Amino acid sequence: MPDKTRFSSKQRKRRQAVDKVMRGVFLFCGILSALMILLIFYFVGQKGIQVFLPSYGEKRQSLWNFLTGMSWRQDRGVYGVGFIVINTLITSFGAALIAFPLAVLTGLFIVKLAPKNLRVVFTTVIELLAAIPSVVYGVFASGSITGLVNTIAGWFGQITAGGVGSLSVVFLLAIMIFPTICSMAIVSIGAVDRQLELGSLALGATPMQTNMKVVLTAARSGIFAGLILGLGRAFGEATAVTMVAGNAMIGPTINPFDPTRTLTSTMLSGLKETTGLDYDIRFSAGIVLMVIIVGSNLLIHQIRRRIGGVTNE
Amino acid sequence: MQTVTKTAAKDKNEARLELGEVAFDIRNLDLYYGNFHALKNINVKIPARQVTAFIGPSGCGKSTLLRCFNRMNDLIEDVRITGEIHMAGREIHGSDVDVVRLRTEVGMVFQHPNPFPMSIYDNVAYGLRCQGVKNRQTLDAVVENSLKKAALWDEAKDILDRNALKLSGGQQQRLCIARAIALEPQVILMDEPTSALDPIATMKIEELMNDLKKDYTIVIVTHSMQQAARISDRTAFFLLGEVIEFDDTVTMFNKPSDARTESYITGRFG
Repeated sequence: MPDKTRFSSKQRKRRQAVDKVMRGVFLFCGILSALMILLIFYFVGQKGIQVFLPSYGEKRQSLWNFLTGMSWRQDRGVYGVGFIVINTLITSFGAALIAFPLAVLTGLFIVKLAPKNLRVVFTTVIELLAAIPSVVYGVFASGSITGLVNTIAGWFGQITAGGVGSLSVVFLLAIMIFPTICSMAIVSIGAVDRQLELGSLALGATPMQTNMKVVLTAARSGIFAGLILGLGRAFGEATAVTMVAGNAMIGPTINPFDPTRTLTSTMLSGLKETTGLDYDIRFSAGIVLMVIIVGSNLLIHQIRRRIGGVTNE
Repeated sequence: MQTVTKTAAKDKNEARLELGEVAFDIRNLDLYYGNFHALKNINVKIPARQVTAFIGPSGCGKSTLLRCFNRMNDLIEDVRITGEIHMAGREIHGSDVDVVRLRTEVGMVFQHPNPFPMSIYDNVAYGLRCQGVKNRQTLDAVVENSLKKAALWDEAKDILDRNALKLSGGQQQRLCIARAIALEPQVILMDEPTSALDPIATMKIEELMNDLKKDYTIVIVTHSMQQAARISDRTAFFLLGEVIEFDDTVTMFNKPSDARTESYITGRFG
C-alpha cells in the first residue's frame, strides 16, 4: 500500500511563498540601485548637453570649442575644458604614480613581512586613513603640503602662489588614494593561496622572489581593482583638491609649481553663487569627468591583462 | 648552447647520483612539532634512481619526513630536528647548507596541483629565471625538454602562452612535475601527487614516474597501497612516527616481516 502523503507537507507552500517574497525584495533593491545610476546619468547628461543645443538660445556653446578650449573665464563667458582635462589627468595619474607602488609594497610588507602584532596596528592605521573625510585632508593639505611645496619650489628657484598648485594636488591625492589602494592590496595579497608560495619556495626561489613574482602576480586582480578605485577617488575628489588647486584660468599646467584646475574643482568652486550658463556648463564638465573615469578603467584593465604574460584570460 | 655548458658544469662539479647509490642516508632522525614527537629515530637509506613509496595511516609522519629532504619543514614554526640526513656526502641540515641550492637539487610536487597564475611557459621557466637565467634560447630549450619529459609537450606546445590555470587537474600536475624537472634536480619528492586526480590522470602520472626514475630519484607519499605496489621499488611503512618496515615493495606486500605491516596492507586498519 503506497503512502500518498509521503514527501508532501504543508510547509512546502509556505516555503515557496517566502522564497517568492524574498526574490521580489532582492529584485526591488537591484532595480532601485540601477535606476538611481540611470537617473544620475540622465540628469547630468541632459543638463550638460543642453548648452550645446540650439534650444539653449544665444548663449549656446560650441562643443568643439568647449572640448578643445584652453581657457576657462567665467568673467568673459569663455568655457574650454581642454586644458582642464589635461590637468586632471596629470594630477590624478601623477598621484597614482606615487601612491600605487608605495601602497602595493606597503601591503606586501604588512601581510608578508611585518611581525604579527605590528600587522594589526598597520592594518588599522590604513583603514583609519581611508575613513578620514576629504575636507580634513584638504585642511591638512592647505596647511602643510602647500608649505612643503613652497619650500621645494624654493630649491628650484621657482615662485609659487603660496604653495598652491599642481604639485600640491598631486601630493594631496597621493596621500588620499594611498589607503584605498593599500587596503585592497592587503586583502588580495592575504588571499593568495599558501600552496603557491610553497610551490615557489620548493623550486629554490627566495622568499623575496616568491613575494615579487608569485604572490604579487596571484594578487594582481585585486591590486588593480584597488588602483581603479584609487584613480576613481583621485579623479572624483573635489573638496580637498579645490582647496589647494588654485583654479588657474588658462593652461594646461606643465610646471608643477603653477596653479592648476581640475574638472572637479571647476565644478565645485562657486557653484552656489552662480546661475545660468555658468551653472549649467558645470554639468558638461561632469560628463567629461565620467567619460575620463570610464576610459581610465578600460585602460587599467588592458594593462592588467598584459602583466604576467597571460593575455587571454 | 648555454644549456650544454651549464649541464656540463653541473656534471663536473656535482656528479649525478647513479643507480645503486644512496640518495638520502637518514640517521637517527627525530622531529618535534613543539612537544609533539612526530618522527621517532628514523634510520632509512633511500636508493637513487628508484621509486621509494612512503605508506601508512594519516598523521604517521610520512609527509613530515618527505619535507625534511628539501627542508620545507624550516617554514613551519616550532619545528625541532635532531639526527642527520646525508645527501651525496653532505649533511643537509648543516647551517652552511644553502637551502636554495638544496631545493634546486631536490624538487617537490604537491598534493594539489599548484601552478602559478601565469602562462605555461612562465611556469616551467620560473625556477631557472629565479636562478638568473635570462637567455631566451636556453629557456626555450629547457621548457620544451621539461614538458616532453613530463609528457605534456604534445598537449601544451601550441598553447605555451596560455594561463596554466586553464589546464585540467592532471595536466596541471604534470606541469608541476615539468616545473621541477626544469631545474634538473637529483630527486623529485611527491606528496600524494594523484590524490586530487581522477583515475586516468593518475595512470598518466604513474606511467610518467616509471619513465622518470631512469634519471631521477623519486620519493612518493601515497595513501593508496595499490599505487605503492604498482609503482614503487621500495616501500617504507610508517606508524605513529616510526618506520616499522622498509623493504623491497614486492617482499613487503607479499611477505611483510612485521605483523603491523601485514594488518595495514591487508586493510585491517588505516
